[in-house]
Amino acid sequence: MLQVENTLFTIVMISYFSSMIAYFVYIAAKREIIAKVALGVQIFGFVLHTAAIICRGIGAGRLPLTNQYEFATSFAWGLCLLAIVFILRFRFHVMGAFISPVMFLMIGYAAMQSKEVRNLMPALRSGWLGFHVSTAIIAYGSFGVSFVLGIIFLLRDKLREHGFLDQHIPDRQKLDLIEYRSVALGMLFLTFTIITGAIWAERAWGSYWSWDPKETWSLITWLIYAVYLHLRIRRGYKGKSAAVFAVVGFVCVLFTYIGVNTLIPGIHSYK
Amino acid sequence: MTFLRRFFRFISSMKFALILLVILVLVCVAGSFVTQGQTYAWYTSRYSERTAAAIIALRLDDVFHSWYFILISGFLCLNLLLCNVVRLPGLIRRTAKEKTSRAKLGSWGAWVTHVGVLLLILGYSLGQFTYKEYVAYGVPGQSMAIGDTGLVLTIDDFRIGLREDDTVEQYTSDITVYDIAASSEWKKAQVSVNNPADIYGYRFYQNSTGWAARISVDKDGQSLQDGVVCAGDYLTIADKPDLVVYFNAFYPDYVLVSGSGPSTLSGNINNPGYLYSVYYKGQMLGMNVLMKDEVLTIDEYTVRFSEPQNYTLLQIKRDMFTPVALAGGLVVMAGLFISFYVRQPRRKEEDASG
Repeated sequence: MLQVENTLFTIVMISYFSSMIAYFVYIAAKREIIAKVALGVQIFGFVLHTAAIICRGIGAGRLPLTNQYEFATSFAWGLCLLAIVFILRFRFHVMGAFISPVMFLMIGYAAMQSKEVRNLMPALRSGWLGFHVSTAIIAYGSFGVSFVLGIIFLLRDKLREHGFLDQHIPDRQKLDLIEYRSVALGMLFLTFTIITGAIWAERAWGSYWSWDPKETWSLITWLIYAVYLHLRIRRGYKGKSAAVFAVVGFVCVLFTYIGVNTLIPGIHSYK
Repeated sequence: MTFLRRFFRFISSMKFALILLVILVLVCVAGSFVTQGQTYAWYTSRYSERTAAAIIALRLDDVFHSWYFILISGFLCLNLLLCNVVRLPGLIRRTAKEKTSRAKLGSWGAWVTHVGVLLLILGYSLGQFTYKEYVAYGVPGQSMAIGDTGLVLTIDDFRIGLREDDTVEQYTSDITVYDIAASSEWKKAQVSVNNPADIYGYRFYQNSTGWAARISVDKDGQSLQDGVVCAGDYLTIADKPDLVVYFNAFYPDYVLVSGSGPSTLSGNINNPGYLYSVYYKGQMLGMNVLMKDEVLTIDEYTVRFSEPQNYTLLQIKRDMFTPVALAGGLVVMAGLFISFYVRQPRRKEEDASG
């Protein structure tokens, strides 16, 4: 099964890369049909990605959500899922050209991690693991989408010079609304992640909050998005200022996931 | 407008909330980068003396218990409370005007979220001031009083579940607890990692493990004392209290690695080595490793280490406010869900216009 997962993972990487190239060609060639091909390749990659994660789970005999490789590939999966949902929901194919590089970078990061299947330490053998990590995947995926939308919002004026993009990028109000939708979904799931993590920590370590760097950074991320939500309802701050916080928020997400694990050791550093 | 009114308006405003949130973010970032709870000496070993002094002066060594962190959190609570109080009459009026129950509920999202955050901070803060925590450790057969709880703990058994590749699957302790004051029945429980046990209002957690050994002391060939000592603990010679044998560490498969000192090749007891040090009137007389069947002779005393075994370390805790914090978390979840997905009519229009 792990061999199958390995093969599938390679095909997924190629699919995500191909879909990214197809999205770029779509913008360069200005042909709608290429956008549909790009999205089709992305969905194909996503289906295989799902199969790869299932194979990993069967091969490892547990939920494949415990080390850097497993979470990185799941992170890329969540990002791809949310990207597909938002592209289809808002018929916003141009977003694919911006989010596919992020997806490819994330799966590339996963490819650089050790794929070795290791047995779980006792603290990780908990039913809460599934709830905690799977909600984090959805939250991070949503924030990835909001990051891309924030970037598009901030670059919108420059992108408008390109006539094709001007027609295919929603107006400011709608862009801000889509961004808000992705942050809202991410915020809800991040809150769920923090709460399930706290319940699990209480059972495993005897304390639901220890100010461990990972906990602290997940709180920082939550606070950044709380600022985003408040800014958005303040007159004069909706739009650009909120978009800046959507971008900063995802930088915090990446730091919580990669930076904390590699730069600041703590009880969450399961490498 | 009077100063007091302006001040009240400011501390209940969203502007003030945003300022507090940004400051809180900056403080948390500082707290995550500076290792918490260390001494000045530790910081000087990592940073320059100037930086270490600044860390101590700014309380960056214990940010999350510093006066400014508590002050910011206090102001945030005050801001949330006032914001909710100020908005309440308007919300009630608006709810009364709404026609559908969905619209009525939809107006309350942010208000409920704020209540949840308040509950969360309140539960956590009260817990920090009132929680009681104890540690008990020992080997099977040992009994001990747990601090001032009035409880007596007996460790009946301790097992380390190993997989085929020798990795640890689970640590499990079988315990019995007795409440002296209540003269109640002995309560038996099993505690393992992720599976704490609730007994007499306290929660027992499987925290960690380590090595223990039997230390026997003979004086002039006669047995003087004998007891099980955990690594990290010491034994005071019964008739010479100034003489102390400290059990530093145990190496089940001892090997001396040049350049880095004693180590162990595996977790199996193949070649047991006991690292000890001897103190007299607080002064260290020496430190060495005793191998199996070797004895340590200090004047007329002979010290022997034997029967290495794993001890269990249990954490015992009571925090009455954990349910309050948990309830706060769940209320935040509910509030966010209402805010984002139980839409008010105004939001629907906004969506449509988008």
